[in-house]
Amino acid sequence: MRRGVGLAAFDRQEQSKRSFAELSSELSRSQIENLHSQLDQFRTALAHFASTHRESIKSDPTFRHAFRQMCSSIGVDPLAGPRQGGWWAELLGLGDWQYELGVQIVDVCVSTRGRNGGLIEMSELVRLVSKLRGMSGGGITEDDIVRSIKTLQPLGAGYQVVEIDGCKMVRSVVKALDEDQTVILAIAREKGGRVVEDDFIRQKGWTRDRTRAALENMLIRDGLCWLDAQDETAGRAYWIPSAMQWDA
Amino acid sequence: MSLSTHTTPSGFLLPSIHSAPAFFTEQPNPTTQSSATEQWTRLILTYARHRKLFVLRVEDAESTDSDWSEILRNERINRMFRLHLHAFQRSSSPVGRILPNHLSNIISNMVSKNLAAYEPPKQTRSALIFWRLPEEWAEILYDWVVSIGQLNTILTFYDITDPPVESPLTNIPVPLLRRAISILGKTGRSQMIAIADGEGVRFLARSK
Repeated sequence: MRRGVGLAAFDRQEQSKRSFAELSSELSRSQIENLHSQLDQFRTALAHFASTHRESIKSDPTFRHAFRQMCSSIGVDPLAGPRQGGWWAELLGLGDWQYELGVQIVDVCVSTRGRNGGLIEMSELVRLVSKLRGMSGGGITEDDIVRSIKTLQPLGAGYQVVEIDGCKMVRSVVKALDEDQTVILAIAREKGGRVVEDDFIRQKGWTRDRTRAALENMLIRDGLCWLDAQDETAGRAYWIPSAMQWDA
Repeated sequence: MSLSTHTTPSGFLLPSIHSAPAFFTEQPNPTTQSSATEQWTRLILTYARHRKLFVLRVEDAESTDSDWSEILRNERINRMFRLHLHAFQRSSSPVGRILPNHLSNIISNMVSKNLAAYEPPKQTRSALIFWRLPEEWAEILYDWVVSIGQLNTILTFYDITDPPVESPLTNIPVPLLRRAISILGKTGRSQMIAIADGEGVRFLARSK
């Protein structure tokens, strides 16, 4: 490569620098244009996708799941609500879906609190929310509920998904379950909701005092179970509504 | 166990909570108890409407063949236990049933909410159940009188409680009828009149 010497070389260098700069801005301009047109295309395609599939997204749980996976791989969730979903959510018109579901979850949790003390089994919640949404609302899944509960978090109402003995439950009251209560819930689930003191003395080796204290706490302090004082075998049986199956 | 609804021989659909044994015990937790009382109240009112029952007595909890037995008892509760626990079965026949004291508290709660009234007053063993409020009865009464063209004539209580053609007011207890009449009296639509063999009532056109 020939190297310019002397003053003329400076000019030449300046010249080529300028040309390169021009070229580069030219290139980046065309790149930006390209990107813009791609984005436009993408936007139109997405809007098209949304308008053709909006109903399926809202009503078909499997489709919604696939859509969500697709979205999360590019780092957005249009279902998460207008704020988190940004213009995606507006474009798709799906943002309120999650909030709407959230409201329905609260509705079910609050209206069943009287009988279950604020602890409801996930499958029961799914069933009741589906019932509330009616036929036109389409199916919903556990996954939908878990996500909606996350969107409820800023409200500070203490909605939480807890796992007890491999079974998911939704808690709608701010109340920590202690270890004994967790054991009681697990046994109650095995027994269809009815437990008596002897269950824990026999199966868990608890003392009668400990058993009675734990059960009475759940009954009187926390309102998580109902008492059957006429039980014919034990005289006193505890019924835990969140571990029972309700047909209607 | 699975809790399900059940249709009684009289065609009444019992809610699923009625199959929960604990529903028949008073709950020590006040929140739980108020929820249970609410459910009992609703059950009593809808059943009363279904069977057109007007009076609930605390004794109804102790009888096996009262008008209210279908809701105050649940024979199915212990049949289920018998299958599994026959060895523990006592000789008496323990079925799910509400205890008189519990029923008495529910009635008292209903009275406090104006969904029932002790009748006769000044005792707490028996009450009129308002599956329609006295105000609603008043309107039904008035509409009925208008429909049979008896405005401005004098009717005895008997004419109303036992009309030749069955009406919505057939068998309405006199104390409840009195309340309805006195409600209409406040708007100038009824007038109590003393007649030879007791009391009568005259209904008047609504003043414009």
